[in-house]
Amino acid sequence: MTATTMTSGPKKQHLTRSLAFVALPLVILIWALTDLSLGRTLVEWIPYLASGFMMNILISLLAMTFGTVIGAIFGILELAPYRLVRYPVVAYVQIFRNAPHLVLIFATTYIFPFEIVIAGNYLPFPDWVKAVIGLAIPASAYVAEITRGAIQSIPTTQWEAAQGLGFSRWQALRYIILPQCVRRSLPPWMNLFSSITMATALASLVGVHELLHAATDASTAVRRIDFTIIAYIVVMAAFFALCYPISRLTRRLERRFNAA
Amino acid sequence: MQDSSILNTFIAMMDRIGLNYEFLATGYEATIWRDGFITTLYLIALLIPVSLVAGLVFAACLTSGRPFLSAPVRGFVEITRNTPTLVQLMFSFLVLNTFVSNLVGGAQNNPLTPFFWVVAVVGLHIAALHAEAMRAGIEAVPSSMVEAARGMGFSQWQILRHVELPLAFRASLPAIVNNLINLVKLTTVGNAIAVSEITYASIMVWTQRDNVVSLMIVILVFFSAINIVVARLGIWVERKLAVPGYGL
Repeated sequence: MTATTMTSGPKKQHLTRSLAFVALPLVILIWALTDLSLGRTLVEWIPYLASGFMMNILISLLAMTFGTVIGAIFGILELAPYRLVRYPVVAYVQIFRNAPHLVLIFATTYIFPFEIVIAGNYLPFPDWVKAVIGLAIPASAYVAEITRGAIQSIPTTQWEAAQGLGFSRWQALRYIILPQCVRRSLPPWMNLFSSITMATALASLVGVHELLHAATDASTAVRRIDFTIIAYIVVMAAFFALCYPISRLTRRLERRFNAA
Repeated sequence: MQDSSILNTFIAMMDRIGLNYEFLATGYEATIWRDGFITTLYLIALLIPVSLVAGLVFAACLTSGRPFLSAPVRGFVEITRNTPTLVQLMFSFLVLNTFVSNLVGGAQNNPLTPFFWVVAVVGLHIAALHAEAMRAGIEAVPSSMVEAARGMGFSQWQILRHVELPLAFRASLPAIVNNLINLVKLTTVGNAIAVSEITYASIMVWTQRDNVVSLMIVILVFFSAINIVVARLGIWVERKLAVPGYGL
């Protein structure tokens, strides 16, 4: 078994990998070309679906940005020498890391008002912003754990060496420890990014106009079973096209870091 | 009598700090909510063995070295890992379920309930993650051990059963426990196709009572508690199975 994979392995694996990138789009293309009326309907709906997918990307980018900033701070605070700081942060991380994403999206959607009053002006508080917050909360909890793990994985001798060179605790963290953490936490951070991107589909359940919602709209408008199938395959292909490269890259980075 | 007085004091106490649990005193909504908890627990209890067994089969296929077994499973695993579970669930429920209905002649004859689809989709999704973890574990088994077993006349299946799996399972246990925690969280997608698990039941309650915060606190505590139990059980199993001197 090992012998055969050794000899023909790399080339064959490379082929299957490149095949994986195009498999789903290829299915869609061939099907749309063999049934032209279906293909035409699909082309008509593609802009609508694309506008939905833009929303997915927007939500995931914003949620990850906020989640990373807050999470990195929380991760450092989790290691703070003061219990008063540490315990609330640890509790926050534990609760929101264990909470289902869907529950948090529901929570932010139903708890926050639909508009906010700032100095007498009514500002709308759209659902998609609530979904961003709903996903930024678990993202921040995960990033906090990733950061904490990365900081703890740096050998203590480095802290001691920094101290010996006259760095303060904060300076050691800022200039010596954190730069190394960035490298170590990159693969899990990318895993999180792809999992948050996939979780944006949950926003459709609270009525945010994103890809899954758009596909459901389209299939109820067209009312053709074959269109429904191809619409959902398009949804899968879109998410796959976004998440599969990320997961490939993550695995490559992991392997390289493990080897180093 | 005793029960209801405790309940009433609890409701009054919570009311004082601004949380509304009045619905617990009514029969109907309290039943819906309690059944929601039971459904979620039932889903979890059912999904853990389903996902483990399916994951084991997938892992065996992935490491079998036979392309006709490993290629389809690899394709399935990659698609499952890189597309949202909710989309898979909607696809299965709207497309595959319709196929089954047409096959048996009408939706009224269709034996497959939304509950079945949640178990199937979430179970197979987590199974794909388990398979990846176990595959890594199997590949981490030192090749000298496999060769020794082959030298002693073990068949491929016996090597998997007696040499690779026992070691691989121990090595991949932390990843498997992690997946199980994901599984617990994923049961909530059942909400999308009207499986009356806890979030679905809670929506029924809070649309009537407008007490989202009160219910949310209980749900968050509930999921934290389940996940702590799952994680603890994982650590316990890990200790039980530890092979002294092997570093696992």
